[in-house]
Amino acid sequence: MFKNRLMSVASISTISACLLVVGIFFAVAVNVEHMLGEIENRIGLAVFFNQEVEEEKILEIKTALEAKPEVHKVEYVSAAQAWENFKEEYFRGREDLLVGFDDDNPLEDSASLQIFMNDISMQKQLVGSIGALPEVRYVRQAEQVTSVIESFNSLVAYTSLGMTAILVMVSIFLISNTVRLAISIRKKEIKIMRYVGAKNSLITAPFLFEGILIGVVGSLIPMLLIYLAYDQATERLHAQFLILREYLVFLPVWTVLQTLVPLSLFIGVLIGLVGSQWTIHKYLKA
Amino acid sequence: MIELENVTKVYSNGVKALDDVSFQIGKGEFVFIVGNSGSGKTTLFKLLIKEIEATQGKIFVDGINITQLSHRKIPKLRRHMGVVFQDFRLLTDISVYENVAFALKVVEASSRKIKRSVPMVLSMVGLADKTKMKPTELSGGEQQRTALARAIVNNPPILLADEPTGNLDPKTSWEIMKLLQEINLRGTTVVVVTHDKEVVNAMKKRVVTLKDGKVVRDVQKGDYGHED
Ligand SMILES: Nc1ncnc2c1ncn2[C@@H]1O[C@H](COP(=O)(O)OP(=O)(O)OP(=O)(O)O)[C@@H](O)[C@H]1O
Ligand SMILES: [Mg+2]
Repeated sequence: MFKNRLMSVASISTISACLLVVGIFFAVAVNVEHMLGEIENRIGLAVFFNQEVEEEKILEIKTALEAKPEVHKVEYVSAAQAWENFKEEYFRGREDLLVGFDDDNPLEDSASLQIFMNDISMQKQLVGSIGALPEVRYVRQAEQVTSVIESFNSLVAYTSLGMTAILVMVSIFLISNTVRLAISIRKKEIKIMRYVGAKNSLITAPFLFEGILIGVVGSLIPMLLIYLAYDQATERLHAQFLILREYLVFLPVWTVLQTLVPLSLFIGVLIGLVGSQWTIHKYLKA
Repeated sequence: MIELENVTKVYSNGVKALDDVSFQIGKGEFVFIVGNSGSGKTTLFKLLIKEIEATQGKIFVDGINITQLSHRKIPKLRRHMGVVFQDFRLLTDISVYENVAFALKVVEASSRKIKRSVPMVLSMVGLADKTKMKPTELSGGEQQRTALARAIVNNPPILLADEPTGNLDPKTSWEIMKLLQEINLRGTTVVVVTHDKEVVNAMKKRVVTLKDGKVVRDVQKGDYGHED
């Protein structure tokens, strides 16, 4: 019995660890998504031009755009200026991080017009009409910061996906062992049930239930942890990245948990089901 | 009721435990299966309750070929036959009453039926005053009576016993055999695998003798025959 408890605790801990990773990733991802949205709104549009387009032509377009009522203001940023701005904004005090770039300008084709909107609801329509101009390479609804955050986001995604996969497998393995132990403890009882004609479903139900229960408990623990740690974590991040402070707008914890709890429960129950069903199939096949 | 047609059982290690066995057991019969150790008696028993699969041949129970039966239908077959073993196979941490009630509970009998049937069957096997005791507090004979009560509480038409007196002294063995006979007299078909020469000789029932997996003798009102 004691050994069985220990196994249950091990299974629950692994599922919890697994879903904590999932949960943290999810919390980061939805927040990043949210921040990107905010940033896009604040920054408005960036219009990038084909390389051969003359500065004069760009300024002509700038004037035309400024005449539109929904446009608040338009700024011209040359390619060189764009790179300087970028370095200034994101690597101030950390110029050592830029050694790899030497004098290359990674934003070579980035001569652009930054458009700030009066009326954000008109943005989509404006993107359409600007995009149709032959000189325009593409229109972006946010600045370079978007891509930095996005690539960070996908790094987090891949790392947590890998970790989750490993932890899911370990969880299933541990649940399977827990259920197997539970079966072996009740072996005699099960045998008698078989002899007197108990239906298979009646015999397997308690073990399936145990697996699911482990899944449920294992998925709720990390939710509790995230709930308890969320506010502190976001405050820390604010303090740590003062330069990004105006971009770091976190979602309230309830918004995150609203989707995360069902997701976590679903994965937890699925792990529990697969782990126990697999073992039941293996050891309790009629 | 029970019919074996050219039944052969070869275990995965190549041992041929039953070799082309055919015989029938009619409704309400009382049959002893005897034979030396290793002659295939337990194998036959296990085939009848479909605990193992025949390698060849057919086994009919009430006209149904159980070698063709899907796994899902095994519970139904088992409800049709009570089983008793040499080692009793009782649950040791619950009472006699609960052991018998367990058999009804797991086939989803109503609690009314349980309350009615369990005391009745326990008094029939002579355990009316021991219902609250645990199997570990009982003698071997009393444990086997409990197991018998559990086997028949569902009123199965067939009762199968594999060496039910193998662990009991002669006097107790007799009592158990008397009980089996009583159960048989109420209409249940009874098949008893045994080594107990004296009992077989005294009871004058049908005796099927196995030797090296073959039926070598099958006599009505017979005796144990000669041991080689
Ligand atoms: N699970 C098994 N796997 C392989 N061989 C087995 C298995 N069970 C029984 N056998 C072999 O099959 C033969 C018949 O065994 P069985 O148990 O049917 O004999 P038995 O007549 O019941 O003997 P006993 O009187 O000792 O109980 C024996 O040779 C035995 O070794
Ligand atoms: Mg045997």
